[in-house]
Amino acid sequence: MFDSLKEKLGSFRDDVEETAEEKAAEEEEEAPTEAPEGETAEAATVAERSTEHDAPAAESAVAEPAAEDADEASTAADEPADEPTEEEEKSTGFGAKMKAAATGKFVIEEEDLEEPLWDLKMALLESDVEMSVAEEILDRVEEELVGERRKFTESTGSIVEDALREALLEVISVGQFDFEERVADADKPLVIIFTGVNGVGKTTSIAKMSQYLEERGYSSVLANGDTYRAGANEQIGEHAEALDRKLITHQQGGDPAAVIYDAVEYAEANDVDVVLGDTAGRLHTNEGLMDQLEKIGRVVDPDMTLFVDEAVAGQDAVQRAKQFDEAVTIDGSILTKADADSNGGAAISVAHVTGKPILFLGVGQGYDHLERFDPEVVVGRLLGDES
Amino acid sequence: MVLDDLGSSLRGTLDKLRGKSRISEEDVEEVVKEIQRSLLQADVDVSLVMELSDNIKQRALEEEPPSGTPARDFVLRIVYEELVDLIGDSTELPLEEQTIMLAGLQGSGKTTSAAKMAWWFSKKGLRPAVIQTDTFRPGAYDQAKQMAERAEVEFYGDPDNDDPVDIARKGLEATEDADVHIVDTAGRHALEDDLIDEIEEIEATVDPDISLLVLDAAIGQGAKEQAQQFDESVGIGGVVITKLDGTAKGGGALTAVNETDSSIAFLGTGEEVQDIERFEPEGFISRLLGMGDLGSLVERVERAMEETQEEEEDWDPEDMLQGQFTLKDMKKQMDAMNRMGPLDQVMDMIPGFGGGGLKDQLPDDAMDVTQERMRSFEVIMDSMTDQEMENPRSVGQSQVERISRGSGQPEEKIRELLQQHKMMEQTLKQFQGGMDGDMQRMMKKMQQQGGGGGGGMGGLGGGGGGPFG
Repeated sequence: MFDSLKEKLGSFRDDVEETAEEKAAEEEEEAPTEAPEGETAEAATVAERSTEHDAPAAESAVAEPAAEDADEASTAADEPADEPTEEEEKSTGFGAKMKAAATGKFVIEEEDLEEPLWDLKMALLESDVEMSVAEEILDRVEEELVGERRKFTESTGSIVEDALREALLEVISVGQFDFEERVADADKPLVIIFTGVNGVGKTTSIAKMSQYLEERGYSSVLANGDTYRAGANEQIGEHAEALDRKLITHQQGGDPAAVIYDAVEYAEANDVDVVLGDTAGRLHTNEGLMDQLEKIGRVVDPDMTLFVDEAVAGQDAVQRAKQFDEAVTIDGSILTKADADSNGGAAISVAHVTGKPILFLGVGQGYDHLERFDPEVVVGRLLGDES
Repeated sequence: MVLDDLGSSLRGTLDKLRGKSRISEEDVEEVVKEIQRSLLQADVDVSLVMELSDNIKQRALEEEPPSGTPARDFVLRIVYEELVDLIGDSTELPLEEQTIMLAGLQGSGKTTSAAKMAWWFSKKGLRPAVIQTDTFRPGAYDQAKQMAERAEVEFYGDPDNDDPVDIARKGLEATEDADVHIVDTAGRHALEDDLIDEIEEIEATVDPDISLLVLDAAIGQGAKEQAQQFDESVGIGGVVITKLDGTAKGGGALTAVNETDSSIAFLGTGEEVQDIERFEPEGFISRLLGMGDLGSLVERVERAMEETQEEEEDWDPEDMLQGQFTLKDMKKQMDAMNRMGPLDQVMDMIPGFGGGGLKDQLPDDAMDVTQERMRSFEVIMDSMTDQEMENPRSVGQSQVERISRGSGQPEEKIRELLQQHKMMEQTLKQFQGGMDGDMQRMMKKMQQQGGGGGGGMGGLGGGGGGPFG
């Protein structure tokens, strides 16, 4: 999960750093016509660094009168340059004209970021971050960076990284709470309802959650609120047997709210700590089933409602998360099949659109394959320390 | 439905080109941006999107539009051709003896699709059997068995055997008499090596004529990797897109098709066994570009008619074309209409009604209102006597009052129903001249009417569904 995004974020950082350096170089060029702002020593260091990059163009640029306008400068600089190779033109064309004194500071402007931001947008989309969410993240990064006046002795890379880290962390860590503490503090029995579209792994997640709770000393009872799907009773029944849990079921076609209600009564009578209520998978477009879900919410009044979706989901993750949250007000989400996915953008989309935390990741087919979702770790992993 | 948004946004952008004879680079940029956006929002693979949009851009700028061709049509044609090129034909599935193996991620809908496909083949007169080899997921056997029962097809599975390869082999033997064998497999993903080995073994054992990759319409960019891996291990000959009744666009399927060099076979559009459609690229693309999808509509209408007839042997839709159109006929039509699926889906298939057409101009809840209206009509009809149903013109004020009390509907509604019936009766009379019972021809008429901007609305949107709905 997140591997490819990590790679792309790395390259975004490099891009901006590069652009920023070019920009810095340019500022230096403009310096003579403006009031120099000192810190010549530092500027010189950078000038040297840049010189290594764009030696061919640089010489000619010195000869040109300093231009006020960046674009003019660029045109002027590029023309007399003795045919820079294509590569150079692409990566340094903008900063190819520099030399002279310097201000030691540069300002990142909107157009400087246009290309890197476009690349980052593609990177986010490739990682399954939903379009509108990606655009918001980019707006935040841009806001953070544009107009930023920095001494360029400060590593540009770290400025970009901070901006990104902040934007991502803000989105992904929204509403995090201590799940274990919440379970510990709650009046027993604690009732948790699992919802989501078909085939995302609600039932499997319930089995894993039951195991997770047991490892922490909590007993649980399973309730099969999926009275619709063929084989649903059998599926959860086998899990209950394997885990040695009590399972409350009704006939297929029965009232799901009644099943969960019965499980709550059972838990009260038998001192069970947690009721894990399954519901039938439903597409958020199915009004009848969404109404039913609301009814379950009203009748059972669960302490916690978890939205289950798969990490492999693409742009649509936003739609369904939003609509489930509207129907039953979720407390958090579980992302399943995270082991099948190297993108992880669904986590960002779902957290953002619901404003509720991602609590767990499903990472395999075993009962112990349920991991606590840690936003700091995820963002750290995303940005890496070295790249 | 896949790429619905592309349809409407593209039409919006292309409309700006209307009247222009030359297109500037900026025009093309804008169109291409719109295409990129729509495709990306539909979960099509990013690199595939770039490739496609580059092609469109290049061709739009470089190719010389045939003289006299408006810029809009020219660009539209390029988009059409590029999409056709990508999507290709629907997967060839001959109606003969064959073995089909299903593969895909956990929860993508393989078991449900297996039963649906079996149902589809059985409707085509073949004898299908579903073989369930998922020994891993709890309840898989029971689910498959129950789904096969609902589809009324043969089923083989063995809950006591934990060797999928062995089950597959025995299943083929046990269902030897069946024409079409559909082998369902456990869900797995590309990174689970041992499970990938397992499906390779199953494949070697059953030696399928074709392996289909079952993909959830909501799958994101991961579709590419999954498709690659499955193609590499078992060879993917076609793609089944499931859960298209949600809001997901299914662009992952385009990626998979491109990646596996295959095509789309079926679309899953609901939870019941009959919620399956054969993928028809022609209809798909014309629907996409706002030209309607008559083929699918005809199929749906015919199927709905057949089903309605199956239940009541003595009712023949042709009868009403010969003589009287009674309220009973209207009720049957409403039943049939219900069976065709949600009104807005049906509207999409009618040229001039769907995306970009009339439907876009209707308020969002117009369809709901219409459906609600149909329901209240049904309630009213239930409170009417046989005689009144046969001869609605005889219903007078005192009867209206009685029916209103009986059905709990306001008198106004009952008069509305009678009015609706009268209107449909008249529409039908207009059709009787040129009718030879051929649906296709009727559709053509609809096309002319629809294209004219709402001529057909009186019957359709009004609540009954036109002469055939």
